[in-house]
Amino acid sequence: MRAVMQATPRLELAAPPATPGTPLLELKGISKSFPGVRALDDVSFAVWPGEVHMLLGENGAGKSSLMKVMCGAYQADAGEYFHNGEKVEIRSPADARRFGIAVIFQEFSLVPYLDVAQNIFLGREFPSRVPGLMDRRRLYREAQKVLDLIGLDVDPRTKVHALGVAQQQMVEIGKALSQDARILVMDEPTAALSDRETERLFEVMRQLQAKGVAIVYISHRMAEVFALGDRITVLRDGKLVGRALPGETTPDELVRMMVGRNVDMTYPRRFATERGPAVLEVKGLAARNGIRDIDLTVHAGEIVGLCGLVGSGRTEVARAIFGADEVTAGEVRIFGKVKTGGPDAAAFAGVGLIPESRKTEGLALIRSVADNLAVAGLPKLFPNMVFSPGKARRSADELIARLRIATPSANQNVALLSGGNQQKVVIGKWLAAGTRLFIFDEPTRGIDVGAKSEIFALIDQLVAEGAAVLMISSEQAEIVHVCDRAYVMRAKRIVGELSRAELSEENIVRMGMHDE
Amino acid sequence: MSLAGDISAGAPRIHLSQDMRQLIYRLLAAGLLCLALSLASEAFLTANNILNVLRQASLLFFLASGLTLVILTGGLDLSVGANIGLSACLAATVIKATGSPVLGTLTGLAAGCMVGICNGLMVAKLRIPSFIATYGMLWVLHGVTYYYMGGETIHGFPPGFRQIGSGYFLGIPIPVYLMVGFLVAGTLFAQRTVWGQQIYAIGANPLAARLTGIPVDRRLILVYAFSGAMAGVASIVFLARLNSAEGDIGEAMTLPAIAAVLIGGASLFGGVGTVFGTFVGALILTLVLNGMNLLAVNASWQPLVTGVIVIFAVWLDMHGRKKA
Amino acid sequence: MSDAALSRAPVRLPAVPGVAVALAGLALLFAVATPGFLSAGNLSNIMVQSVILLLLALPMTLIIMTEGLDLSMGAVLTLASLVLALTVVSTGSLMLGLAGAVGVGLAFGLINGWLVAGLSIPPFVATLGTMGAAQGLALIVSDGQSVVGIPRFVRQAYSGDVLGIPNPVLIGAGFYALFHVLLYHTRFGTYICALGGNRDALTLAGVKWKRLLVSVYMLGGAMAGIAALLMTARMNSGHPTAAIGMEFDAIAAVALGGTSFEKGNGWIFGTLMGVLTVGVLRNGLNLMAVPSSVQVACIGALVIFALFLDGMRSHKS
Repeated sequence: MRAVMQATPRLELAAPPATPGTPLLELKGISKSFPGVRALDDVSFAVWPGEVHMLLGENGAGKSSLMKVMCGAYQADAGEYFHNGEKVEIRSPADARRFGIAVIFQEFSLVPYLDVAQNIFLGREFPSRVPGLMDRRRLYREAQKVLDLIGLDVDPRTKVHALGVAQQQMVEIGKALSQDARILVMDEPTAALSDRETERLFEVMRQLQAKGVAIVYISHRMAEVFALGDRITVLRDGKLVGRALPGETTPDELVRMMVGRNVDMTYPRRFATERGPAVLEVKGLAARNGIRDIDLTVHAGEIVGLCGLVGSGRTEVARAIFGADEVTAGEVRIFGKVKTGGPDAAAFAGVGLIPESRKTEGLALIRSVADNLAVAGLPKLFPNMVFSPGKARRSADELIARLRIATPSANQNVALLSGGNQQKVVIGKWLAAGTRLFIFDEPTRGIDVGAKSEIFALIDQLVAEGAAVLMISSEQAEIVHVCDRAYVMRAKRIVGELSRAELSEENIVRMGMHDE
Repeated sequence: MSLAGDISAGAPRIHLSQDMRQLIYRLLAAGLLCLALSLASEAFLTANNILNVLRQASLLFFLASGLTLVILTGGLDLSVGANIGLSACLAATVIKATGSPVLGTLTGLAAGCMVGICNGLMVAKLRIPSFIATYGMLWVLHGVTYYYMGGETIHGFPPGFRQIGSGYFLGIPIPVYLMVGFLVAGTLFAQRTVWGQQIYAIGANPLAARLTGIPVDRRLILVYAFSGAMAGVASIVFLARLNSAEGDIGEAMTLPAIAAVLIGGASLFGGVGTVFGTFVGALILTLVLNGMNLLAVNASWQPLVTGVIVIFAVWLDMHGRKKA
Repeated sequence: MSDAALSRAPVRLPAVPGVAVALAGLALLFAVATPGFLSAGNLSNIMVQSVILLLLALPMTLIIMTEGLDLSMGAVLTLASLVLALTVVSTGSLMLGLAGAVGVGLAFGLINGWLVAGLSIPPFVATLGTMGAAQGLALIVSDGQSVVGIPRFVRQAYSGDVLGIPNPVLIGAGFYALFHVLLYHTRFGTYICALGGNRDALTLAGVKWKRLLVSVYMLGGAMAGIAALLMTARMNSGHPTAAIGMEFDAIAAVALGGTSFEKGNGWIFGTLMGVLTVGVLRNGLNLMAVPSSVQVACIGALVIFALFLDGMRSHKS
């Protein structure tokens, strides 16, 4: 057990913990701006040999930007780099590699139709004795060594696209390790890994640590932060807000730093005593995307959660209900009527999907707020098919006022809105369409905490007005605090249902984990 | 993660004002072209030549207006030129066989529309990238038309039919009236109907459009069918103007039509563009080609100039996106 | 990353592709339907006639693997052939003529590559524009006339043989081997696959991929220049519309051969089989006295079918 010291009130920008000699890599006063966003603002960061340095922050806090600056993918607008105390320049990934910096990205940097060995050594192919050619035998020999190190049992000649996600993640890790990295940067490396693979990764990390490799580790999992971390740095809104040692802080304190104030994890919710008629009834649903035997019901006036691990099939259920993925068996009833056909039929029947990926699936970023708000409700607003810009504009203005969307005008380009306001636009477009069943897929992904409670207040209001809500979330706390009931998924099936009384993070995790 | 994309994405443009500005630039460009040409050649500012420019522009516009809708959805139709060939030859055959221009016209329109529907099915249902599907269609049509015609020419149509292409009403060529008609109809369709709005939404983000309940497949088929039907219209006017049909009748029209749409401010990436812009684009391109003609530049230069214009227009669009 | 993306298990259809079946099926069909098809003379004829197409289809494979396209290849081939013919007729030097043809190809490749890599213009539009430009130039340099009076020794390139093996077949085999080595045994080939599959991976690996992309298009142009030699030798003249649409046969062969328009999934042996399929189809239809126009339509239909299968394969997930 790790002793948790009494968290005495202290300044957020506490003095850095005692430092063991010269840092391996130090960044000083790094700033980086993009049009309209200040991604990093005067951030300083250092990592010492043989330590695991945890980097924490909410989505959009600047962790990824800092990581990209560190590996040379971005060039900082201002700031200095020190390697072993010496001032250096990092202008490109090649520079970073020269100083032994290797990065494991969350989004894969793998080439699907190259094999495992070619991917591991991409850009570092071994020359053959024949000028111009590669030494393929050596390539596969070296790749096998890397695979042995990380304990991945695949043929190095396998094309990467044929591997599962976890295996791809391990290849990615192998790629970084093979670079003889002195500084290894990992962005949520365990997100897609099974327990066994995670353990194997931690073991490799400990070996590297023993060899003096410095590891920068980005994670959202508090358990990992305290189990692995030697040092913690917290970012918020592109600024450095705190540094701490794991022994001297608590999860609560870290969350407070990340969020900037005390978080009220209880969202306002007026739980109804009796539920309305069934709006959505799903029986024996199976779809081409892999889900099977899905039975669930959502009534008017209730929020039903759909939880489980990432990859358990939650999004697939939502897409199958909405008609976005092909259904192969079973039936979906909306207000008692069997629903067939694609998303257009679903939208017509009163179903609205608020997808996880707002920017790629929810909004047309090159269009205005008004255009985006109108797009789902077009057939309802203009039943005779004649479009009137004035009427569309009035409807948009109403929604902007009702949802309190912060935008200078309805003509503003939707790409310029903050994440929370963009999410409100996606919800708004369904309101215009007269939707009665809302399917939310990770409604608070990438939204700051203040906006989160606003979104939940909005969802609560929808339900109070008689709408039905099916909500997918990876944040178990959200499910526990907001939902009337929840279904738990595992391996593409629903494995159980939790009533309001049974809902707890513990129960969700227990049900969602693999039986062992 | 897109390292290249992240940086350039920045803040996209604000719509209305930007579009207006783009349109004004283009009208200015057209005006400057007119001014320059009237200074360079005395033959330019004659009533005859102006009407000639308008008539040529109208032929281009028929093709380009249909193509505009396709490009608005983020697609491309490379088969429009070959479609003119097939539609014109079939229409000519029917007119010759039945003596009825009405039947012939209907045949031409139906043939063009059918080809468009095939394109739409390939793009929407088989999910073949539009430029490849319509490029394949181009060669299928090309082959079928040449085989059907066997190198022959059909010529000599009733005078009433020929009026469509070469007649005048109140001193203005009939095709120009048709152009104005299609300009108004096309603009109303794109700006003032639910379908038009949905087409813009599809072009702006097809994935989001589908998940917003827009029947994307049906709209795509509609758009390609419309493009095909407009090729049918162009084929009829062409036929009436030339008074003869050959296999290669529309072949050289595809590139200019694409050029007209792109000069008119439509984006190849979809969601941006107007039918009126395409009208201005067709006018500008015709002025350029007419000017080359008046200045006695060899006609062989036309494909080269058109090709360069296409590339330049796309570059301008992308450059504008990055800057705004 | 969404749940859907995580759970998508990549499905690989068996590697024995439709192109082998198509090739065998067509060969069988023509063997039964036309008596002359299986004669040694005719089979050799198919190979010889397919070589020009092969020279275009090999670089087209690489270009399509980078998620690109080169619609200008046929027009550039035409232009290069005219330049070669004009140079040989006026100077009498085949070497100068070939250098001119390859030079024209390289120049167009450079422009295509610059438009695609430098200005990020979508490849099909960029090369559509340069196709117009090359067609125009072909009309301008030839003044719309055929170039005749090619010296007899130029014909040798096409009709000659070494130890009984026709020259074109040797040239084709040589370039096939070269492209095979290039794609599977050099960094260049690895990076081409990555250009289509994941450009960010190349950036992160510190590879300057824009230059690479330009060089892929330049390779296509150079090969069009070399193909121009064979074509001029075969026709014994230069003609301003000689190879218009030839890029379509090349794209057809590549698509038939199972190279995908997405993600850098390419197969050079498939392209060889695709080229032979197109060659067999054209030859067999010729023997059956089917007009060339219908052959084009058949190839068009075949390509759409191949793309449909390709789409099925990648959507089967």
